[in-house]
Amino acid sequence: MTEVHRAQDDETELRRTAGPRSGPPLLSGIPRQPGTPPAALPPGRFARAFELFTGRAVGPYQAAVVRIGFGLAWTGFLLREWPNRRVLYGDRSPWSDELAARLLAENHAFTVLSWHHGRLWFELVYHLAIVAAVLFTLGWRTRASGVLFLVTVLSLQNRNVFVGDGGDNVIHLMAVYLVFTRCAQVWSLDARRRGSGGGVWLWVLLGLALLTGPPGLLWVPWAVAALWWIVNRRYPNGEWRDVLDALANMLHNCAMLVIAGQVVLIYSTAGWYKVQGSRWQDGTAPHYPLHLDYFTPWPWLSGVLGASLPAVFLLSYGTVIVQVAFPFTLANRRVKNVLLALMMVEHAGIAVTLGLPFFSLTMIAADAVFLPTSALLWVGRAGRGLRRRWRRTALS
Amino acid sequence: MVRTWSLPALAVLCAAAALLLGGSVVFLAALFLQSAPPNVLSQRYQAQLNGIVYPEFEQNWKLFAPNPLQQNISVDARVQTISDGGRVHTRDWVGLTAQDIAAIRHNPAPSHVDQNLLRRAWDFYDSTHPAQDGVAVGERGKSAEEYLKRIALQRFGRTAGGERILQIQFREGTATIAPPSWSQEKVPTGIGYRELAWWPVDEDDYRGLL
Repeated sequence: MTEVHRAQDDETELRRTAGPRSGPPLLSGIPRQPGTPPAALPPGRFARAFELFTGRAVGPYQAAVVRIGFGLAWTGFLLREWPNRRVLYGDRSPWSDELAARLLAENHAFTVLSWHHGRLWFELVYHLAIVAAVLFTLGWRTRASGVLFLVTVLSLQNRNVFVGDGGDNVIHLMAVYLVFTRCAQVWSLDARRRGSGGGVWLWVLLGLALLTGPPGLLWVPWAVAALWWIVNRRYPNGEWRDVLDALANMLHNCAMLVIAGQVVLIYSTAGWYKVQGSRWQDGTAPHYPLHLDYFTPWPWLSGVLGASLPAVFLLSYGTVIVQVAFPFTLANRRVKNVLLALMMVEHAGIAVTLGLPFFSLTMIAADAVFLPTSALLWVGRAGRGLRRRWRRTALS
Repeated sequence: MVRTWSLPALAVLCAAAALLLGGSVVFLAALFLQSAPPNVLSQRYQAQLNGIVYPEFEQNWKLFAPNPLQQNISVDARVQTISDGGRVHTRDWVGLTAQDIAAIRHNPAPSHVDQNLLRRAWDFYDSTHPAQDGVAVGERGKSAEEYLKRIALQRFGRTAGGERILQIQFREGTATIAPPSWSQEKVPTGIGYRELAWWPVDEDDYRGLL
């Protein structure tokens, strides 16, 4: 663990983020199919890049922390809105089934809530959403719970798109991207149970559930799960097992690239449009949201913050500078980490002052994709230490 | 040490790598163009971009930008009721937004019902009625009217003062937020109101609401 702290440059970070690998090791002992001549790549930069891209799912800790963050945010949101669920997305919604059907026919958004009408189906989907979110957070059968997470997020949000805010939008996007990642390599129940395989009953159950709806893309992950199962059983040491593994790694790596790109895009869009705003230029912009009735749960706190000239000016210019600069600081680890910490602190502040805890939590979870592995490992060790101490005190 | 693959496996992996990387780059480029101001490239490929981004990858990250909202918008509604004897009464204005604000005050985790439902329904109404004369633009405008009406009716119920509700009217109040105390700027104080027309209410509007 100590060499982790010594490592500084980007290349070592990439190597470290490789983490534990699922499946058999790729570099040794794989019998080749007889008769096929080995096609050796010239060992060079391209070959090494190809090896990195296909051989490992990069950033296992980052993927896990993003999974946990979004799982927690959506779980918390669903529990908080439990008393209001029927008004927001269900049979009591002012956005009636007819209005929703009219919009869905136009934009073709996905929701299983249009498969059947009535309260029972809605309650089933809402409570399944809570279960899926909890299981996804814990990393239990993550391939399946991840897809369920995606299906339930999209289903509820697309039932009424007019009750969401930026936080819902981020959850919506990340739910899609996370399905393509191997986000349960670490910090998950799957990682503890690795190798036991199985889950056929879950696969059958989900297949039966799919039969109740119209045919659609959801059969794709279901079929892929079947393919994995067959290849794992029949050719556990064959080359095609490794090809599947490499494909999954590539998919994961691309999805992580898209997640990172999405976060960068959020900040750069927010920053670049602010630069053009007269209120951000004159340094008074934060004063106004702090006096919007809908975003002042604590008027006294907002009043104090919004009345202080230096605070408002610093928030105004600081926010714009950080948001505009963030994408470019990715080239420098240290500066990037400082900005990342600043952005997380600012979002924690927004959670309280503007009354947007779930929005802030999703933004912090999205930011977490850029956290350095050493910090995440430190958090993991601290968590384990706490757990040990808690166990010891519980036993004594 | 580099892994060696059989030729078919290598072909599959290379094809997949090209496809996945290419797809990711195209996807990210589409998201970027959708977030950027309208430009020559995004206008040229508008249809293709919309095909990628909608309905599930919508981007809307102009958070408090270019300028934050500088007005407090409030929505009030009042109803006309009819007594058994056939007399029509116009009731007092009810502050729907004021109810939301009361629920948000001192609440560490305000509900979407209070923070977004009416606020965004009014935004939706506003965006589908750009002429400000109450004329709806297309199907969406009609949906926005029905949505707004149902949000209010859910709060009023079927009756007011023991009498059946016949019609409903909305008004929008706009109050400019005062600039910071150190600023020299002068802005109009007080609330400016804009009233919409009376909309008829019938039993059909209540479907599922109560």
